[in-house]
Amino acid sequence: MSDQNIIEISGVEKRFGTFTAVSDLNLDLKKGEFFSLLGPSGCGKTTALRMIAGFQDNDKGSISIDGQDMADIPANKRPANMVFQSYAIFPHLNVGDNVAFGLRKLGLSKAEIKTRVAEALGMVELGGLETRKADELSGGQRQRVALARALVMRPKVLLLDEPLSALDKNLREAMQLEMRRLQQKLGITFVMVTHDQYEAMTMSDRIGVMFAGKLAQVDRPDVLYARPCNRQVASFIGGMNFLQARMVGDGGGQMDVDVQGFGKLTIGVNPNVEIHDTDLLVGVRPEQLEIGAEKPDGYDGYLQGEVSDVAFYGESVHYHIRAAGLDETLAVAVPNYFHTVDHQRGDTVWLGVQNASVIDLGAREHQ
Amino acid sequence: MKLLTRFPWLFVYAIAYLVFLYLPVLLLPLFSFNDGTIVAFPMKGFTLKWYAGLGGQETLLQAMVNSLIVGIVTALVATSLGLFAARAYVRYRFKGKELSEGLVMLPLVIPGIIVASSMLVLFISLGLKPSLTTVVLGHVFLALPFAVSIMKSAFDDFDQSLEEAAFDLGESIIGTFRRVTLPIVAPGIVASLLVTFTVSFDEFVLAFFLSGNQPTLPVYIWSQIRFPAKLPNTLALGSLLLLASVLLLLTAEYFRRRSTKSA
Ligand SMILES: Nc1ncnc2c1ncn2[C@@H]1O[C@H](COP(=O)(O)OP(=O)(O)OP(=O)(O)O)[C@@H](O)[C@H]1O
Ligand SMILES: [Mg+2]
Repeated sequence: MSDQNIIEISGVEKRFGTFTAVSDLNLDLKKGEFFSLLGPSGCGKTTALRMIAGFQDNDKGSISIDGQDMADIPANKRPANMVFQSYAIFPHLNVGDNVAFGLRKLGLSKAEIKTRVAEALGMVELGGLETRKADELSGGQRQRVALARALVMRPKVLLLDEPLSALDKNLREAMQLEMRRLQQKLGITFVMVTHDQYEAMTMSDRIGVMFAGKLAQVDRPDVLYARPCNRQVASFIGGMNFLQARMVGDGGGQMDVDVQGFGKLTIGVNPNVEIHDTDLLVGVRPEQLEIGAEKPDGYDGYLQGEVSDVAFYGESVHYHIRAAGLDETLAVAVPNYFHTVDHQRGDTVWLGVQNASVIDLGAREHQ
Repeated sequence: MKLLTRFPWLFVYAIAYLVFLYLPVLLLPLFSFNDGTIVAFPMKGFTLKWYAGLGGQETLLQAMVNSLIVGIVTALVATSLGLFAARAYVRYRFKGKELSEGLVMLPLVIPGIIVASSMLVLFISLGLKPSLTTVVLGHVFLALPFAVSIMKSAFDDFDQSLEEAAFDLGESIIGTFRRVTLPIVAPGIVASLLVTFTVSFDEFVLAFFLSGNQPTLPVYIWSQIRFPAKLPNTLALGSLLLLASVLLLLTAEYFRRRSTKSA
């Protein structure tokens, strides 16, 4: 193993009866990184996390933590701790005893336990709440207690199963920042399961995107957004307009393509794509299309169409444009700079796109 | 109430039904204060002597002790079995689960006399003489469905990740059971102990067949009813038992509600 890696997962598979929940999972996690497993409901994220925690055995492959093979090591002996989706706060214990629960097995003195509990509660900003009863806690406080109870064990890896999904939007956003800060301060590896793309992007160093038990792509958030490996990943993270294209020439990491509606463009070859072909699929993010009543200057490709829908989001306005020769409408997102909605349904508009905004998604047949 | 004024006959029916159910039970304490041995109106006068006389009756006290022993042992055994069975029924899916749950509940619907006579035959053929031990075995069989269903409701709203969290924090399987599972289902355990104790304490048919020469209280009372002079004593005893049963069941209900609320 490389000493950069804290978790190494290779060829892991999990079946429930005849159903394969996770297949051929290969993943190396670096020391001190914040990693998120992102995917739709039922894709196997929790199952993968529970195999790392030791609550579920893998049918194939191997998992090692900190260089040690986990095959014969039960959950209570692994150097990883878990924050459960329901938080699993022990209802019969107060906050202090909840946090001290795991410490009691370590043979520490009473005074030591007390200091470490106070320290852990301080970390999650619950200092002094030791004697508060479990049923007197708010949702956010329960989440913090669960976090403190796991962190007090000083694990090498912290596993979190949708830790914020039970909180309301404002609290969730505040906790995202706080957890990220805590993780960076402690330098512990966090592995978080989530189905919320924004949560994954704002918190993580790297994200693994999962579909139907398989890891589709593992990358930094900005790379996932700019260079998704296929249509599925591209549409799961952010919005995306998909267009058909024909490759007409390539060389030097670039290729010339004829894009439906926009015509000839020269785009970068996406290194994450597995299979290329002359029949390509390309994508353009809605916020990277320019829209105007007049033809805008300085773009590499243009298209004229009619506004079929306007949706006002507050911070931005989304226009849907129908154009001749395109099967689907194109979405365009315009930041709300001046409190104006410039185009109405039925207006004829110009769209402009730059070469750099067009994302190569590989052979159309393999989507 | 609206319903009752609209259908007055429904109201009459409800009252008649309650009277029919509870009047005999209420007559029991009433006649236990009657200064006379004949159980009939008009009553002769108020006395507490039947209650006072209870303390002096050796065999009655012995029967009471027998019943307490049988009740306590039955409650402990049935509740322990019920605890583990209920956890398995709620948590795991396994082959024969439905069948096994059905079998556990069966004693609720088999006529007691059939259970009693077949158990007597079984125990004798095994060389077990009728005694308090055989009564306990019979009563555990009868009380198990109560224990299992009470404990099942205690486990129904028990979040499984609580046990996983304890295990994840380094606790052993047994330690997890002791430090997390037991305290959380404790109200259910208390409710089950009280109910199974009451089931055993009140039970007559099995005890009659299986107790041999160590009668439990109901068996003793039955044997006394034949002697008119002893009847008022029995009524006094019965009234006390009635009171104790009601108190016990109320306590059990209190704990059962607490157990469903706490989770
Ligand atoms: N114990 C089990 N027995 C049978 N099937 C299971 C079991 N646990 C999970 N599954 C199945 O495995 C698949 C993956 O489940 P998993 O819980 O890992 O999904 P998930 O990605 O965490 O989804 P969610 O976002 O809804 O939590 C699902 O189809 C699920 O029904
Ligand atoms: Mg899940």
